Amino acid sequence: MSQEIAVIGSPDFTTGFRLAGVRKFADVPDDDKAAELDDAVQGMLTDEEVGILVMHEDDLEHLSRGVRNDVETSVEPVLVTLGGEGAGSGGLREQIKRAIGIDLMEED
Amino acid sequence: MAKDVKPTRKNLMAIEDRIELSERGHDTLEKKRDGLIMEFMDILDQAQDVRSDLNENYDEAQRKINMARAMEGDVAVRGAAAALQEHPELTTESKNIMGVVVPQIESSKVRKSLDERGYGVLGTSARIDEAAEAYEELLETIILAAEVETAMKKMLDEIETTKRRVNALEFKLLPELKSNQEYIEQKLEEQEREEIFRMKKIKAKKEEEEKAEREAAEQEAEEAETVTADD
Repeated sequence: MSQEIAVIGSPDFTTGFRLAGVRKFADVPDDDKAAELDDAVQGMLTDEEVGILVMHEDDLEHLSRGVRNDVETSVEPVLVTLGGEGAGSGGLREQIKRAIGIDLMEED
Repeated sequence: MAKDVKPTRKNLMAIEDRIELSERGHDTLEKKRDGLIMEFMDILDQAQDVRSDLNENYDEAQRKINMARAMEGDVAVRGAAAALQEHPELTTESKNIMGVVVPQIESSKVRKSLDERGYGVLGTSARIDEAAEAYEELLETIILAAEVETAMKKMLDEIETTKRRVNALEFKLLPELKSNQEYIEQKLEEQEREEIFRMKKIKAKKEEEEKAEREAAEQEAEEAETVTADD
């Protein structure tokens, strides 16, 4: 089955991806993020046609705890975050610390 | 716990069998965990390279789209974005790394030539083309990052599960089985000692009885002798 890339974020963030042909996107203006981002993310998580979900690292802060956990641990679709401090998508760094026992990304 | 098992030789043998099996399982799982961690380290190196590429490409793409916005205006950029006809598609295949199924993502139609993009060439400028190209490159890196990071997530899950199993065997099951084994061994030894003590007691008692009988018989014989001497 062929899948697509989806983008969620402020209109400024999504425009560029749409320019590259991304069809599935959710524009959530900065002011409405606290209220609408959860629903937008949940909608994309349940969409079977979405294979990769692209978000800005800072936007994860606006998500409620449950949704954030869902999206960070989700494998299909997988979350790829941009921006932020560059320590890997979502809770990957935390997960590495928990599974291996050492913070392997410290050198970054 | 140790008090629940009956101290019989049959139970002891069963526990010894379980200890052997658990130890073998523990060794195998430990090897699996170490193997997974080694594979994970390889992927981690790859992931860190992809991450730095991703950040670089993102900065570049942002710079270019900001430039396009500044030169052409936000409306023109959004208009061009809305006109796109071709959409990138992903197909996922799977690969097996030590029992962990990781995806391999193939993409098509990410990079497009100018005429495939769908917005008119005349109405837009080279700035928008550059921004579109930069974002196409970014998408390619994102797809690579998605592949590597999914593999990492799945392997981390597997490492965690394996580690938990190894620890459960090492710190819970094996100590319990060993304490049961020790308990049964001690109980059996105690029973053996009791048995020996009992035997010794019986032997001593029997010897005493025999001695008393012998003495009684001797006395009788003596008495009989004196009676015949008197006659």
